[in-house]
Amino acid sequence: MTERGVVFDLGYTPHEGERRGRHGAIMTTFRDGLYRVFGIRRRARKKILPWLLVVIAILPAVVFVGFAFLLSTFAPDVESPFGGHAEYFGITATVVLLFVALGAPELLIPDRREGVLAVYSSRPLRPDDYVGARAASLLTVIAGFMLIPQVLMYIGFAALSSDSFFKALGTNADEIPKIIAAAAMYALAYAPVGLLVSTIASRKAAATGIFFAVMLIGTALAAALVEATGVPGHRFAALLGLAEHPAQVSDWIFGRVGSSDLIVANNGFDPWVSLIVILLVAGVSSAVIVWRYRRIM
Amino acid sequence: MNDAPILSARDLGHAYGSIVALHGVEFDLPAGRIGLVGANGAGKTTLIKILLGILRPTTGSATVLGFDATRDMLDVRSRIGYMPESDCLPLDVTASEFVVYAAGLAGLPSNAARQRASDVLTLVGLEEERFRPLGGFSTGMKQRTKLAQAIVHDPELVFLDEPTAGLDPEGREEMLELISRLGGFGINVLVSSHVLGDIERTCDRVLMLDGGRVLRSGPLSHLVDADIVSVDVLGDISAVVEHLTAAGAVVETSGSRLLVSSSDDDPFRLVRDALVSTGSGMRSLGPKATTLEDVFLEGGGT
Repeated sequence: MTERGVVFDLGYTPHEGERRGRHGAIMTTFRDGLYRVFGIRRRARKKILPWLLVVIAILPAVVFVGFAFLLSTFAPDVESPFGGHAEYFGITATVVLLFVALGAPELLIPDRREGVLAVYSSRPLRPDDYVGARAASLLTVIAGFMLIPQVLMYIGFAALSSDSFFKALGTNADEIPKIIAAAAMYALAYAPVGLLVSTIASRKAAATGIFFAVMLIGTALAAALVEATGVPGHRFAALLGLAEHPAQVSDWIFGRVGSSDLIVANNGFDPWVSLIVILLVAGVSSAVIVWRYRRIM
Repeated sequence: MNDAPILSARDLGHAYGSIVALHGVEFDLPAGRIGLVGANGAGKTTLIKILLGILRPTTGSATVLGFDATRDMLDVRSRIGYMPESDCLPLDVTASEFVVYAAGLAGLPSNAARQRASDVLTLVGLEEERFRPLGGFSTGMKQRTKLAQAIVHDPELVFLDEPTAGLDPEGREEMLELISRLGGFGINVLVSSHVLGDIERTCDRVLMLDGGRVLRSGPLSHLVDADIVSVDVLGDISAVVEHLTAAGAVVETSGSRLLVSSSDDDPFRLVRDALVSTGSGMRSLGPKATTLEDVFLEGGGT
């Protein structure tokens, strides 16, 4: 004889456990931002582009180290043609630009379009917290894009060094703060502009297009305007090339000023001018984003 | 039971530029299920936004669960839930993911958020559909998901803004049933609606707004059980009316039907005496069936 099953109606159980309040809300928003830009817990098609960009950002670093390994094994006297940490920022900068163009709209626009901001407005979260958490998500991802390949190269080159591994790590330790500072410059130059465009645009595709227009066409426009020699102060148009400023500051950090063919450098602007432009644009962008979200949340 | 008001307002006002949405609003509402009623534009949503800390009052102040709605916004938001009238669901995630996320936003740790989301989605009848993307949900399922995100963190008070909007009759019944059950879970409810029947079904108190002012406020039973007797008289009504008026009653006539009220005496007794004295017969006698709509219209609501 089999025993009869019993169904219990457990009803509603109140939550008597921990509540993390504002800190928990901020961390949840931050973590959701990371998931969003990588398409995690989203449909498969939303994962394709971000992960393709991850591969594009990291693969060259693996190739650099691999090629250095081959050279050190078969032609120890030949120097690697690929360069080092400073040169690699030129590769990842393009990937980061693409990622910000795709990721920043994903972070802000769906919440506005789909009305999800109403849910955030009923949680222990201020508008500044929401914007800050989303910005932190984007900055973290940019830092990852910039730093992970650099760390791979740093460790890889140390492993291939004729010195011992740990000695090589120590010898090159002065590169670490430079790498971090250069990555921070790119993040500061790209993320606030991407988020500002996504704050204003109502559709993701439009935001991506406007960001490219500002960063790339703006640079092309700057190149054209500085050629207008008949116009007084025409060289100041070089400052419109927003995409170039972090490269100029990065060269400065790595002691390579003048080694890149940058419009801003060619028109006589020192790297500190680029640094001020980056900080100014980041500051104004952040202020406008916060102002806008304080009005709508 | 604590009798302290869960919601109160003093001289509360808000204006959008030159348009006054709320003016001189005052109330003290105890725990329970409260209906916030009023026509479109009466100021219901503005009041809810002030209580949530989204809008700052132009004048006066409001408290929620004892906390100042503006100054202690985060304390308020840690204890309440909100089901907005408008769309608030991301279409490309599953109901489960979204409700877990909503729980996390309220500060619940991951494991608790997952457990609560599962329980609450079952409670609202979405246990079978919880792993489907919200973009494929019907209006009724979306409304249930909105309710689930509003209560997933076990709030002390939940604001429901037009919870039956867009629902078919069956969906509306199910939503009203769910709202009625919330009180049993220890969750206080403020239901905003312009459908007065929904408020009568689900609430025990009501706050009526009209043109940004409080029209009526109090227990629903006090508002709708007006002390008025309705009697349908057979034959000539004039003698009955004359007798009632002489006894101090206030009489309204509509054909053969009389509506009788008295501030000094029991209107049933007055009607009985008048019928006996005049030798008149009647078809029916009983308390006037007063709906919330009657109260709203009598109060000058539009």
